[in-house]
Amino acid sequence: MLFNSIEFLIFFPIVTILFYLFPHKYRWALLLAASCFFYMWFIPKYIFILLITIAIDYTAGILIEQWADDARRKKICLIVSIISTCLVLFIFKYLNFCSANLVALAQHFGWTHPAKALNIILPIGLSFHTFQSLSYVIEVYRGNHAAEKHFGYYSLYVMFYPQLVTGPIERPQNLLRQLHEEKEIDYDNIANGLRLVLFGLFLKMVVADNLGQYVDLIYANPADYSTWDILWGMMFYSFQIYGDFFGYSTIALGCALTMGFKLMDNFKAPYLSGSIQEFWRRWHISLSTWFRDYLYIPLGGNRVSVPRWALNTLIVFTVCGIWHGANWTFMIWGFAYGVLLVIERGLRNIHVFDRIQGKIGRGVINVLNIGKTFIIVTLLWSVFRATSFGNLHDVFAALWHNTSTASALHVNAVTWIALALFICIDLILKQRRFDEWCGERKTYVRWILYAAMIFAIIVFSSVQQYPFIYFQF
Amino acid sequence: MAETYLDIIKKIGRKFLWLLAVLAGLDILYLCTFYKKDREKNSTLMDYSLIPVKDSTDIIYLGESSNHACSETDVDKRCISDMIDDLMPDHRVGRMSKNACHAGVYYDMIRNIPRKNPVKTVIVTVNMRSFSSEWIYSELETPLQKEQLMMKKAPALYKRALLAFKAYDHWTPAERDNVVRQGLKDQTLHLPYFFPYKNASDWDHAIAAQDYLFNGQKVSRDTIELTCHYIKDFAYQLDEKNPRIKDLDKIARLCKRRGWNLVFNILADNMDQIKTLAGPDLEYLMRHNAEYIIKRYEPSGVIVVNNQYMVRDKDFFDRTFPTEHYNQYGRKVIADAIVERLKETIYK
Repeated sequence: MLFNSIEFLIFFPIVTILFYLFPHKYRWALLLAASCFFYMWFIPKYIFILLITIAIDYTAGILIEQWADDARRKKICLIVSIISTCLVLFIFKYLNFCSANLVALAQHFGWTHPAKALNIILPIGLSFHTFQSLSYVIEVYRGNHAAEKHFGYYSLYVMFYPQLVTGPIERPQNLLRQLHEEKEIDYDNIANGLRLVLFGLFLKMVVADNLGQYVDLIYANPADYSTWDILWGMMFYSFQIYGDFFGYSTIALGCALTMGFKLMDNFKAPYLSGSIQEFWRRWHISLSTWFRDYLYIPLGGNRVSVPRWALNTLIVFTVCGIWHGANWTFMIWGFAYGVLLVIERGLRNIHVFDRIQGKIGRGVINVLNIGKTFIIVTLLWSVFRATSFGNLHDVFAALWHNTSTASALHVNAVTWIALALFICIDLILKQRRFDEWCGERKTYVRWILYAAMIFAIIVFSSVQQYPFIYFQF
Repeated sequence: MAETYLDIIKKIGRKFLWLLAVLAGLDILYLCTFYKKDREKNSTLMDYSLIPVKDSTDIIYLGESSNHACSETDVDKRCISDMIDDLMPDHRVGRMSKNACHAGVYYDMIRNIPRKNPVKTVIVTVNMRSFSSEWIYSELETPLQKEQLMMKKAPALYKRALLAFKAYDHWTPAERDNVVRQGLKDQTLHLPYFFPYKNASDWDHAIAAQDYLFNGQKVSRDTIELTCHYIKDFAYQLDEKNPRIKDLDKIARLCKRRGWNLVFNILADNMDQIKTLAGPDLEYLMRHNAEYIIKRYEPSGVIVVNNQYMVRDKDFFDRTFPTEHYNQYGRKVIADAIVERLKETIYK
C-alpha cells in the first residue's frame, strides 16, 4: 500500500483508532495483522519471503543468546543467520544481475553460458527489512540487546508498517523496546504525527512528483534537451529524490508518532552540508549509521592507518552503492562517494580551506562549501538516476554538446513554486523537525499552513503515478 | 491535571469539525479557481458526454475506436454514428466516442447526460474483447479511470482528491503483467466436450510454444502471435461476476429509471480469421458469450443487435491485432443492422 494512496487514507485512521481501542496486550497482534495487510497489498505471496527472513533471524537471536558462553557456536550462528538472510536478498535482487554479467563475460571470452533470467519482481523494501533484521541479530550477538522470545513482537519489529518498506532502518534498542511499552493516548503525539504526515505528503505529492515529470522526460530522451535543460533536470532530480524520500520518511515518522512510537530521523537538511562527510551524516541517516555500526567500525573505523582507512571507506561506500540496486551505476555512485571522502580528508589534512578562510571570511566559505557539496551531490545523483551507462553517457553528451539556448523543457509555475518553497522550508527548518517548528506557531498561522498544504496536495499534485523512488530498493 | 481520554477525544472532535469547515472552504476556492481548467485537462470524457448531447438529439451512440477508425483507402470517412444519423433523417443522432471506452465508462457518460435532455434512445457499443482480462487490466484503462473520477457526482475537491491519491489502477508494467496473467488464469473454460486447456492462460501458452495452428498447419511467428491475441481476448465465459456485465447491468437499470430505450450493439469480430486461426473452440466460446448477453438483457426490454458475424475478413483493416476497426463497408454493415432493428422496434 502506498502512503499517497486512497487506500492508505482509509487504512491509517482505522489502524490508529483500533490501536487505542485495543488493550495493550493485544496491540502487537493488531499492528502485526495491519502490517501484514499493508505489505500484502503489493504482492501477497511475498509475505512468505519476509516470514523466512523473520524466522531465520528470530531463531538465530535465541540461539545466540543460549550459546552466550560458547563463542564459537555463537559466531557460527551469527554467520549462518547473516548468510541466509543475505541469500534471500541476493536471489531476489542480485541473481539476475550477476547472471547477466557472467553471460556477458563468458561471451567476451567466446564461451557460451546459458543463463536464464528469473522472472521475478523484487519484493518491495527487501533491502530495508533485511538490514533491520540483520541489525537485530548483530545487536543480540554483541550483547547490546536481549533476544526477543515473543515471535509476534519480533515479527512486528521487522514488519512495523510505517517503516516496513523504506525505513527508517530501526535498531532493536529503539523500536523493539517501544513496541513492548504501553502507549497512552496523547494529544500532542497525535497532533505532531498528523502534522508530519501532512508535511510528508506535501513533499512527496507536490514537490517530488511535480519535479519527477520533467526528470523523467529528460532522462528518457536527453538528446532532445539543451545544456540548460539538462542542468535543470539534474537539479530537479536532486530535489525530487530528496522530497520523495524525505517525504516518505516523514510520513513514516508521523504514522508511528500518532501511536506514540518515536522512529529515528532520516534527514537533517542534507543539502545544507558543507562537505561530503557532513552530507552523509544528514542524508538517509538510518542507513549511513547502519553501515557505520555494522561494517565501517568492524573493519577498523578511524583507528587504522590512513591507507587502510581509505580502503575501508571505499569498501563501505561501494557496498552502500550496491545495496541501492543491482546495477553498475549504483556501484559507481557509491564508489565515487568513497573516493570523494578520501580526497576530502586529504584536503582537510593540508588545511587548504583554513588558509583561504583567513582571507575571505568564514560565512563566505560556508556558502561556497555548501554550493560545492550540492554540485557534487547533484552530479552524482545523475549517475544514480541513469538507467545504464549508455543513458548516463547520453545525458552528459547532451549536457556538453546541446549548447542551444532554446529550452524544450516547459516547466509549469506550480513546479517552480514547489521547488522554491521546498528550498525555503529547508532553510527555515534548518535541522529541526516540521512538527516541532509548526507546534511553536500561533494557532491561526498553523491552520493557514494546514489549509494551504491540503489545498496544494489535492489540487497541485501530479495526476501521474510516481512510486516512491526508494521502493525499488 | 492530566487530560482524560474523554478530554482528548473531545479536543480531536473539535479539530475534526474545524477541518471539515476548512475543507468546505477549500472546495469553494477550488471551484472558483482551478476546477474548470482541471476538468478540461483531466476529463475530456465529461465534454464528450455533454457537448454532443444537444437539445435536438434524441438518439445517442456510445462507442469507441470502432465508431470512428477509418481505413486509409476509405472514400466514405463517416463514422458508424454518422451513418445511422444519415439513415434516420427524422432523428438526430449524437455521438460520444473515445478510444478504448467500455461499459464502465459509458455508464458514467450516460449518468452525466442532463435529466431534462430529450434523449429517447441510447445505443451502447458492446465490444466483446472488453470482457477479457487483457482489456480490463490493460494500460489503456488507467487514463480512462482517471477521467471517470472527474465525472463522479461529488464535490469538486473530493473528485480532485481521488485523482491526487490515485484512486485508480496504478501498476508498474511488471505488476500489470502479473495481474493480466492471473486474470487469464482465472478465465476458466468449461466446454460441453473434451477440451485440453483449463483456462485462457494454458491455451495461450500452448499455442505460443508451437509453430502450428489447431489444424496442424505450420505458420509464421506473427500468425502465432495474432492467434494468441485472439485467445487472450476472447477465451472466457461470461457470467454475472464479470465486471463489464455488472456495468451493463447498471446501464440497463439507469436507462430503465430514466425511461430511455436501450440498444446493445454487439460489435462484429473477424470471425473468418478466428475460425481459421483459433478454430471452432474459440468460435464456440464467442458465440456462446454473445448469446449470454442476448439472453440476459432482451427479456428486460433491452434491444440487442448481434453483429458478431456481420463483417467479413476483407472489411477489417488491422491485420496484426484483433481490433474492431472496419473499413467503410464494414461500418455501413453495422450501421444498417442497427437502423434496421431500430425501425423494427422503436421507430416503427
